[in-house]
Amino acid sequence: MSFAGLVNRWSRCFFQNTYAYKYTERRGVAISERYSQQPETKYEGTEEFRVLDLKPKKTAVRRKLRKKQEVMPPRTSLMPVDQDWGSVWPGPRTFHPASVPLPLRQGYKEKDAPPGKFGNAELMKIPNFLHLTPPVITRQCEALKSFCSAWPQGLETDAKCEESFPLEIITSDYCHSSPDIRDPLARIVTLKVKLGRLPLNTHAKDKLLRLVGERYNPENDVLTIMTDRCPLRQQNLDYALYLLTTLFYESWKIEAWESEKSEADMEYYDWDASASRKNVMGLLSWKPDQNAAEMSADAMDLDIKEFKEAVSKIMNEGEEEYTLSRYKEEVKKLFSLQDISSKV
Amino acid sequence: MNALNTLHVGLRSQNRRQLNILGVIKQYSSTRGQDIIIPKRIHRSPTDILKALASTVKSDPTAPHYKYHDDPYLTPISNVAKRSFALSKESGRKAAHWIRAQNSELFQHKVAYPPIQAFYPQLVYDDNSEVDEEALKKVIDDVLVSDAIRVFQLLQKKGQSISESTKQALLELLCFYNCEDTLPEDMIEERWFRHGGWYKAKQRKTWKDNALAEKVFNSLDSPGSAAYCALLQGMTRFYQVDRAWKLYKETQERGIDLTRDAFNSLIRVVCYLREGNENRWQLIQELLTAMAKQNIAPNIGTLNAVLEAISSMGPQKHVKTYALRALAELRHVGVQPSLATYYFLLITFCKERGPVSSILVDIMDAIEGQTFSIKDPKDTFFFVTAMDICRNHLQNIDLAHRVNKLLHTGNNYDLIGDSFKESIYYRHYFVLLCNMEPLEVFMEYYNKLVPHIYIPEPAVMEEVIRAVDMNGAAEYFPKLWSDMVIFDHTERVNNVAAILSGMVRNKPQPSSDLTEKFAVIAWNAWEKLEVSVDGEKYRQFRWTGEMLGDIMLLCLRYERFDQARRVLTKLEKNQNSIVGVPNIEALQLFTDMCISRNKITEALECIQYSADAGFPETGKLAQQLSGAVELNTEQLMRLTDIVGQEVIQSPNSASVAEQ
Repeated sequence: MSFAGLVNRWSRCFFQNTYAYKYTERRGVAISERYSQQPETKYEGTEEFRVLDLKPKKTAVRRKLRKKQEVMPPRTSLMPVDQDWGSVWPGPRTFHPASVPLPLRQGYKEKDAPPGKFGNAELMKIPNFLHLTPPVITRQCEALKSFCSAWPQGLETDAKCEESFPLEIITSDYCHSSPDIRDPLARIVTLKVKLGRLPLNTHAKDKLLRLVGERYNPENDVLTIMTDRCPLRQQNLDYALYLLTTLFYESWKIEAWESEKSEADMEYYDWDASASRKNVMGLLSWKPDQNAAEMSADAMDLDIKEFKEAVSKIMNEGEEEYTLSRYKEEVKKLFSLQDISSKV
Repeated sequence: MNALNTLHVGLRSQNRRQLNILGVIKQYSSTRGQDIIIPKRIHRSPTDILKALASTVKSDPTAPHYKYHDDPYLTPISNVAKRSFALSKESGRKAAHWIRAQNSELFQHKVAYPPIQAFYPQLVYDDNSEVDEEALKKVIDDVLVSDAIRVFQLLQKKGQSISESTKQALLELLCFYNCEDTLPEDMIEERWFRHGGWYKAKQRKTWKDNALAEKVFNSLDSPGSAAYCALLQGMTRFYQVDRAWKLYKETQERGIDLTRDAFNSLIRVVCYLREGNENRWQLIQELLTAMAKQNIAPNIGTLNAVLEAISSMGPQKHVKTYALRALAELRHVGVQPSLATYYFLLITFCKERGPVSSILVDIMDAIEGQTFSIKDPKDTFFFVTAMDICRNHLQNIDLAHRVNKLLHTGNNYDLIGDSFKESIYYRHYFVLLCNMEPLEVFMEYYNKLVPHIYIPEPAVMEEVIRAVDMNGAAEYFPKLWSDMVIFDHTERVNNVAAILSGMVRNKPQPSSDLTEKFAVIAWNAWEKLEVSVDGEKYRQFRWTGEMLGDIMLLCLRYERFDQARRVLTKLEKNQNSIVGVPNIEALQLFTDMCISRNKITEALECIQYSADAGFPETGKLAQQLSGAVELNTEQLMRLTDIVGQEVIQSPNSASVAEQ
C-alpha cells in the first residue's frame, strides 16, 4: 500500500468523524453522539426507554458504487492532419482503431453497411502495411544508403550477371527474439545452375538428366540441387558442390551396362528402330520372305520422311489434335487413299 | 574443343578431383569482355542497421510512453495511474522472479546458447551450503551483498582462510553499500519512481557502526592504503564524518597514502567537519594541498566535491568568490566540468533570499548544443534546478527555451533523473510558458506536453484557466474542463470556481456552439459536485454562492430553465451553509425568464431569495414582475410581504428592500 493510499484512509477517518460531529451538533444533539454513524432513530431527544433490538433490521447493503472512470476519446481526434505518420506507426503492428485516423469499413453484413473499424476483427486479422507508406520508405532508404556500396561495374544487366556468375547459391537466415537464435531451417542450401553452362554431349546430358530426375526444369534449363541432410550450412554447401561435381563427371563416364539400353529405356522415340518402320516397310515392299527391318528407305525410293515425322511427333510430343490429324493425312497418303467426299 | 580437352584431362585424373566444377563451367563459356569491379563491403556492427532505421522515427505527441498499453481505456492519464500502472507491471516481473526462485527445480532447462546467466535460478546460501573462496568472489562480482555476508560468515565458521585481495574486495563492497542490499538493476520502474525525498533522507548519518564492514577491516593483517580508503569513503558516503576524520588522521600519522577518491569524499563532507565558512574553506585548502603533496591530480570528482561543500556553506559574500576561484583553478589544471558542477554553481549563486544572479546565462552560453553523459550522480539535478531558476529567480522565457533545447539534444534526456524531477521540470516550464508566452503558443505546448509527458497539478491548472480567462479565449474552456475531469481536479473549489467565472465573463457569440458547451459543462460540474457532497461525506467541498450563481447563469444563457431552478432551490434552502451570494445578473436573468415563461411562483421565490440575500436590486425585480405580469391576490400579497407596498405601487421610485 503506498503512502498516498494510507494518507487517504487516515484523512477519510478524520473527516468522517468531524463531519459526523458537525452533523450532530447542528441538530442540537448531545456531543456523546459523535461516534454514532447510524441514522437517527425516534428515540433521540425523547425520554422514552429504548427497546432492546436483538435482531437488528438488515438494511439493504448498498454496494459502494465504483466511480465511473473517465475515458479519453481515441487519440485520432487529437492527431493533426500534417503529423509524421512514420513516427506514429513505426513498425508492423496489428490494426488498432483508436490510433489510425482513417474511417475504414471492412466486412459484410446482409442488411447493413460494412462494419466500422472499432471492434472489427476482420481489420485486425488481415496484414496491414501502415508502417510502409511511401514517404516512410523513402526516409528509411535514405538512412540505409550509407551502408550500401555501389553496384559492381560490368554487371549491369541480368545476362551479364548470369554469364559471370553462373552458379547460384541460395540460403536463408532467420531472426528470433528468444533465448536461442538458432533455427534448424537455416542449414538448407539450394544450388542452381543452367545446364547450358556445362560441357555435356547428348549421352552425358541424357545420363545427367536421368540421374537428376525432377530437379531439372526444362523450361528454363535450370538444375536445382537442394541439400539439408547435414546439420550445418557449410556442410550442406560442400555437399551440394560435391553432388554437382559428381553428377557432372559421372554423366561423362560410359559404363559397360549402358550398352544394354533397350527401346523401352529410350528417352526419345527413334522411328528408325521402331516397329512402325518395320510394319510400313513390310507393307510397302510386301515380299514375305524379306526382312523388312533391313530394308532401307532409299531402296524403296519411298518418300516416307513425312510419315516418319508424323509418327515421331505423336510419340514424342503427345497425342493432340494436330499430331493425330497429321498422322491421318500421312497414312492416307501412304495408302494413296483419297477423300471420298472429294470424289463424289 | 579446348574445354573438352581439359575435361578429358580431368576425367583421366579422377582420383585427384581437384578440377573445380566452377572452373569447368567458367572455362567452358568464358566470354568475359569487361572487367568486373566489385566494391568492398561496408562494415557495419550488429545493430547499425537498426539504429539507422530507428533514427528515422521521431516522437509522437499523442501517444503514451511505450511501456503503457496504447488504448483509450488502458492508457494512464493521471500521475497516480501512471505510477501504479508502471509499478504494477514491474511487480509482475518481481512476482515472476519470486516464483522462479521458489520453484527453482522446475526451471533447470538451459535453452540459450551462449548461456544467459540471468535466466538461471539464483543460488541460495544457507547453513549447509558448501562454499569456498571462489563462491565468495563470484558473489562479490555479482554485487549480492547479503549473499556475500552470508558466504563470508559461513567461511569464517568453517575456519577457512580468505586471501587478502578477496577480503579487500569484500570490504569495498560492504563499504559502498553499507552492508545492505540495493535495488536490482532491472527494476527500472521502481528506480524511476523513487521520489526525491530519498536524497534528503540520506543527509543524516546512516553508517552502521561496528558492523561487518569494520570487522572485515579489523581482520585484515596489514590494512594498506586501499583498505583505509575503502573504509573512509564508506563512512563519508553514509555521513559518519567524525570517525571518518579520525581515520584520516590515522592515515596521516601512519604516513599511508590516500587515493584521489578518498580525498574527494572527504572534501565533500567538509561542512559537517567544521563550523564557519572560513574554517571550512581552510580545511578544503588543507585537503587539496595534502592531495597535491601526494602528486595526485584533481579530477571532475574533486571539482564537484569542492563545489558541493561550497554550496552548503550558507549565504555569505565570500562563498561565491570561493566557488569561482575553485572553478577557475581546477579548470586551469584541465578538469572538464560536468553538469553537476553547473548545478552546484547554480545553487550557490541563485539562492532564494539573495541577489538575482544571471550566472545561468553564462552557463548556457558555455554548454549550449553539447551532449552530456553521466559523470556524477548529481548531474541529474541540473535541468530541474536550471528550469526552477528560469521560472522563479530570473523569469526569463528565452533562457527556459534554451535549457529545454539542451535537454532535447542528443541523449541529454537521459539526465533528467527520475519521474519526480521530470514532473517538477515540466511544471516550472509550463507555468513560465503560461505566464510569458502568448496564449496560442502556450496552447501548442499544452497540446504537445499534456497528458502523456506532463500532467499539470491543480495549482498549475488554475493558472492556465486564469490565463485563458484573461485572454478571453473562451474556445479553450471545453478542452480545459474535459482535461480537469480526466485528471480528477474537479474536487478543487478554486479550479472549478475559476473556470465557471471565466466562462461567465467571456460570453461567447450567439452563433457559436460554445453557449451550449458552457451550459453542459456547468451542469456537469453541478452534477459531479452535488453527488460528491451527498455521497461521500469526507470530501471537504463547500459550494460558494458565486459558483452556484455562475452555474445558474450559464444554464440560463442556454435557456435551461429547470436546471437553473434546481440551482436556485439549493441556494434558497442552504442559505446558511453557502458562503457568498450569486451575481445579481443571474437572478435578473432568471426573473426575466420566469416572466417570459409565465412562472410566477418561481419568480416569487427568486425575489424572496434576493431579498434574503440583501440585494438592493430586489425592488427593481419586484417592480419588473408586477409590471409585466398579472398577479393574483395571493401572489400580490406575497410580493408585498417581501418588498413592501410602496415599491409595487410606485414603480418609478427607487426603493430599498425591507424585511
